[in-house]
Amino acid sequence: MNVLQESLPGQVYRIAPQGRLDAVTVPALERVLDEQLAARHFRLIIDLSEVAYISSSGLRALLRARRQAQSGGGDVALCAMSERVTEVFEMIGFNTLFRIFVTPAEAATALAKTVPA
Amino acid sequence: MGQLEQLIVPGRFDRLTEIAVFVTQAARAAGLNDDEVFHVEMAVDEACSNIIEHAYAVQSGDINLACTCSTTGQLEIVIRDSGQPFDPVEVPPPNTDAPADLDQLSEGGLGLYFMRKLMDDVRFEFVPGQGNTLTMIKRAKIE
Repeated sequence: MNVLQESLPGQVYRIAPQGRLDAVTVPALERVLDEQLAARHFRLIIDLSEVAYISSSGLRALLRARRQAQSGGGDVALCAMSERVTEVFEMIGFNTLFRIFVTPAEAATALAKTVPA
Repeated sequence: MGQLEQLIVPGRFDRLTEIAVFVTQAARAAGLNDDEVFHVEMAVDEACSNIIEHAYAVQSGDINLACTCSTTGQLEIVIRDSGQPFDPVEVPPPNTDAPADLDQLSEGGLGLYFMRKLMDDVRFEFVPGQGNTLTMIKRAKIE
């Protein structure tokens, strides 16, 4: 799986996985997330605009990244979720757990206000 | 009884896409709508991921999928493996009131939750010497 990475103003980093997020592809996303978190980049946007499908292994990866980012004083915000991905989130209650935005710009603005620990 | 379609693939993660294409086609042939086809795809993906990760954790083997499409808008999927026995009773259900802690749950627990949520019927059976048989049914909504 291809995972795009972009540095934005305000120490915010956009991560955009491309394709299905299932047990096959999740390790590639986890590697990118682990590298970002190891570099103490705790304000992460995960842009799901190119993700048409997410399985429980993908949900788990997002949850782990969120926990680690919050431990570092930041957060993980999600954006551009498809209807299918939104449906999966709602089934398990993740829609009320994550900060979810329509565009990366809205997510970046919200994250830039997050005070680092 | 309706039409039966079968797919046998090695139980490996790199075969999940092939499995998804197979069950998606079967679900459409059964007359399920787009939402229902997606539910079938996800339930089967979770089921087969669990088989690969757990049943075939030690020894590898095949996944045998058999789809029966009935003319009454019902799809029955039977998934067989010859791996370690799976007992759903031993898998604790996720606490959906505390979604922040769901990554602490065993991998199979979350997948099983989705399978039950997405399908109309989910049954497990283990027969020594034969392996696990998972039967899932999805019925088309009457519109």
